[in-house]
Amino acid sequence: MPEVPRIRVCDIHKRFGTLDVLRGVSFDVERGSVVSVIGASGSGKSTLLRCINYLEAPSAGEIYIEGEPLGARVDERGRRRPRSLAEVNAMRRELGVVFQQFNLWPHMTVLGNVIEAPIRVRKLPRREALAIGEECLRRVRLIDKVSEYPARLSGGQQQRAAIARALAMRPKALLFDEPTSSLDPELTDEVLGVMRELAADGTTMIVVTHEMGFAREVSDRVIFLHDGLIEEHGPPGELFEAPRSERLRQFLSKYRR
Amino acid sequence: MPEALKQAFDLSLFWEYRAILLQGLLFNAMVFACAAAVALSVGLGAALLRVNRLLPARWLGTLHVEVFRNAPDYIMLVWVHFVLPLLISKLIGQRVEFHPFLSAVIALCFVYSGYFAETFRAGIQAIPRGNLDAGRAFGMSEATILWRITLPQVVRRMLPEALNQFVSLFKATTIVSLIAVPDLMYNVSMVTQQEMRPLPLYTGAALTYFLIIFVLASGVRAFSERWRRKILA
Repeated sequence: MPEVPRIRVCDIHKRFGTLDVLRGVSFDVERGSVVSVIGASGSGKSTLLRCINYLEAPSAGEIYIEGEPLGARVDERGRRRPRSLAEVNAMRRELGVVFQQFNLWPHMTVLGNVIEAPIRVRKLPRREALAIGEECLRRVRLIDKVSEYPARLSGGQQQRAAIARALAMRPKALLFDEPTSSLDPELTDEVLGVMRELAADGTTMIVVTHEMGFAREVSDRVIFLHDGLIEEHGPPGELFEAPRSERLRQFLSKYRR
Repeated sequence: MPEALKQAFDLSLFWEYRAILLQGLLFNAMVFACAAAVALSVGLGAALLRVNRLLPARWLGTLHVEVFRNAPDYIMLVWVHFVLPLLISKLIGQRVEFHPFLSAVIALCFVYSGYFAETFRAGIQAIPRGNLDAGRAFGMSEATILWRITLPQVVRRMLPEALNQFVSLFKATTIVSLIAVPDLMYNVSMVTQQEMRPLPLYTGAALTYFLIIFVLASGVRAFSERWRRKILA
């Protein structure tokens, strides 16, 4: 029997008013694999990521985490029922999210940020959460900043703290929403470095990115989104070396210049 | 004229009655503490209505804010003490009277909950949406997000303005003597009737209020500024 994918994105549509942002996007993310989502601004990349953990509820379609539908459950009679917010919360904690703007909580120290969700959501004892938090901060090389407040960190450090915060929940997959887009070039590398290590350790990741070098080098598969649809997808070598569609060729040419 | 001035600043009479006056001041402090605690809670409730997704809830919150914020303390005090019990009496067909202390707390709580609601609302709306998204993405419930992420930041942001409102509220406690709450002003007028020397007594009361408010407000301001700077640097 084939393995159940870690995440299955199944025919996701998202409509804001009269605007169709996603028009039926489907793909699987296997356990331990890295999928990069590329595309021009406005192609629906970030909305897709927000739909995957229901920060935006999809207008149609479903997300499956290890075969379990995120937004609905099947009742005793076999009928699909939409999940309550509490149930959605219980499912979405399995997906760690790293945001473009970091979104660290400014009133908590770095360590406070990292242990907050494990304590409040996973209900871990404080001591256990602290041990996990410190381990995660060591992994992103921020162990010397545990008691700093986010406002005193550089952008790169803030983003690494945000990665540690996502890791501390021991998620089944990490979702990155343009994690380096608001960083100076010299700070981008330190974040990409951490992400490379995570990928090498077998972390399942979906990465929305403008970093073509990273997508090419680290991803197992790349998805090119255009106008709310998957225009092309495949292994990075194939996509970057021999794009089939004209749109992807045009998109990539902007990065080669 | 210099004799009158000398009399005004000769506070020995004020000092003579310190025990009874201090007792009055304690009443001020109690009215302040109770009204502040209730006004903060009611104000938070009204603010949460004001930012609610449901339109009727928003209307209700706005109604609360506009009615109470625009009511003068004095009018509200008289209304709560004399009119509200009458209304309730007529409604339940039984004579009801409010203890002056209770009326004072209710009236000041009403008025200041309107102010606090607006301060809370501004604070809540100033929290970046990404902060809340992060909480939701980790599966936090809305209540956890409110208590752990929104409110701690709101409190830090609203401190300077809230501090001004606390000072106003403390000042407003001086009018409760009008409905015979035995506060400092009430006791001062009692002593004045006996001694017939209003100048030193009222001057002493004014200086006492000034000193208390000045010392407390400066202390809290310095503390809150240090606390705020940590996160808003």
